[in-house]
Amino acid sequence: MISKSKIFEVYESGGRRRQLYTINLATGRNVYGERLVLQNDVEYREWDAFKSKLAATILKGSPTIGVRKGDVVLYLGSASGTTVSHVSDIVGNEGFIFAVDIAPRVMRDLIFLCYNRKNIAPILADANKINQLIERISAVDVVYQDVAQKNQLEIFLKNVDLFLKNGGYALLALKARSIDVTKNPKQIFKEVRERLEKVLTIIDYRELEPFQKDHAMFVCKKR
Amino acid sequence: MYIFSNILGVFVFDEEFNVVDEILFKNLEDYNNKDKFIEQIKNKHKNLKEPNNEELKKMIIYFKNNRFFNDFCNKNLQLAKLDIKSSVKDDILLIQAINSIEELDKAINILAKRLREWYELYNPEISKSIENHEKFVEEILDKEKGELLEKLKINPSDSIGADLGQEDLEPIKSLTHQIYDLYQLRKAQISYISTLMDGLCPNIKAVCDAIVGAKLIEHAGSLKRLSEMPASTIQILGAEKALFRHMKTGAKSPKHGIIVNHPLIAKAPANMHGKIARTLADKTSIASKVDYFQGKFIGDKLRKELEEKFVK
Repeated sequence: MISKSKIFEVYESGGRRRQLYTINLATGRNVYGERLVLQNDVEYREWDAFKSKLAATILKGSPTIGVRKGDVVLYLGSASGTTVSHVSDIVGNEGFIFAVDIAPRVMRDLIFLCYNRKNIAPILADANKINQLIERISAVDVVYQDVAQKNQLEIFLKNVDLFLKNGGYALLALKARSIDVTKNPKQIFKEVRERLEKVLTIIDYRELEPFQKDHAMFVCKKR
Repeated sequence: MYIFSNILGVFVFDEEFNVVDEILFKNLEDYNNKDKFIEQIKNKHKNLKEPNNEELKKMIIYFKNNRFFNDFCNKNLQLAKLDIKSSVKDDILLIQAINSIEELDKAINILAKRLREWYELYNPEISKSIENHEKFVEEILDKEKGELLEKLKINPSDSIGADLGQEDLEPIKSLTHQIYDLYQLRKAQISYISTLMDGLCPNIKAVCDAIVGAKLIEHAGSLKRLSEMPASTIQILGAEKALFRHMKTGAKSPKHGIIVNHPLIAKAPANMHGKIARTLADKTSIASKVDYFQGKFIGDKLRKELEEKFVK
């Protein structure tokens, strides 16, 4: 039985293992081999927490993910569009997503996703070069970043500063191993937290074990 | 007054950040020739300023509006399509070809081992006498059992292989033909890589040979990234597991990665491996930089220096 969860536009079914769903925007199509469930004439799409860090954050008990219906989202590090497709379900046709990635290989898959969903704009660009990005996007309500780069925190702060409206949400999926493999991930999370707190208000912080190893999600709000 | 241009058009903002004038781009062609439109606007309005960061922030809020999103989607989609189309370069083709060769090697090895097991039921003496898979396949391709045994000077009645009928031999024969074709395919792909590298990176090819050079490029991701790497990184490309074990636990550091397959290292005594790997990585690094920035051909000189140093 699928019912509403605490998060806006996200649904869940109980049982021993909690399973998340979003309402499918492109009816009848799945994106990465996930199951489609029909209930009361509404088509739901399963949201795999082992493939999506945003779903993992919700299952780890985060009270909010900041994305709501009608939001404009800047998604840095979209890859082939696994999480992007669910964010697209959440924001709906009134919302919009700018999906940025640097690799042509994954952008190829993303473009085929964009044919079915009119609320995604694919952008093949470097998230680090914001003066190139500014020509192709507008101001946004939410910034979500998932890039495995050594300077991922600097990229995040740069983009949040320029594109995010005041009071908007900023989500950072941090991969400790790409900052420094030799350091203890806990230590890195602590350092990042301290640096984030100087500019943003941290609302929630979750480590994503067992869904993702050595990853953490920071949900922040711009002052 | 400020001037601002993006993928949608050229806009003029006043001091309160309201749009005073605008030229919207109809298609991507207009965006590519945007200088023309910027000039047009500049002639119309005097004293236009370039905005700074704080002012930019206030301007882009204007575009956060439903009526622009359709245009954002279409133009960005078109741009991304063009970018992807033009992102296919020679080194990406090279990477696909070398990956294909690596997978062919694996497939050939598995099939050849099965062929030997199968064929040995019929004629074990020949299989034992030829170590090399490729030679073995070529040898049994067309010849009959008696002919092969005669070569080894074994009397057919002494053979411990079973006497199989024609219908039992047929599947073995067709498998042999398939494996032979795979070997031909592999040869064709190696010659393709070789010609590709003549155009893309002649210096790397001269220093490292086609296969090792192509594997280095494959591992680095592209010729550009290989040329940006220091020699010490090139030396241990492909030995990441050992390197990180070394960094984490303090185990011994690896001496070489992919370049161990280079004939200079492979033929040298074990105590020289580290020294040769270091020098070879140096020369490869130089060669990759020359190749990326399209300098003169110095590959033969680099290779000669290497050989003078280590081949005695």
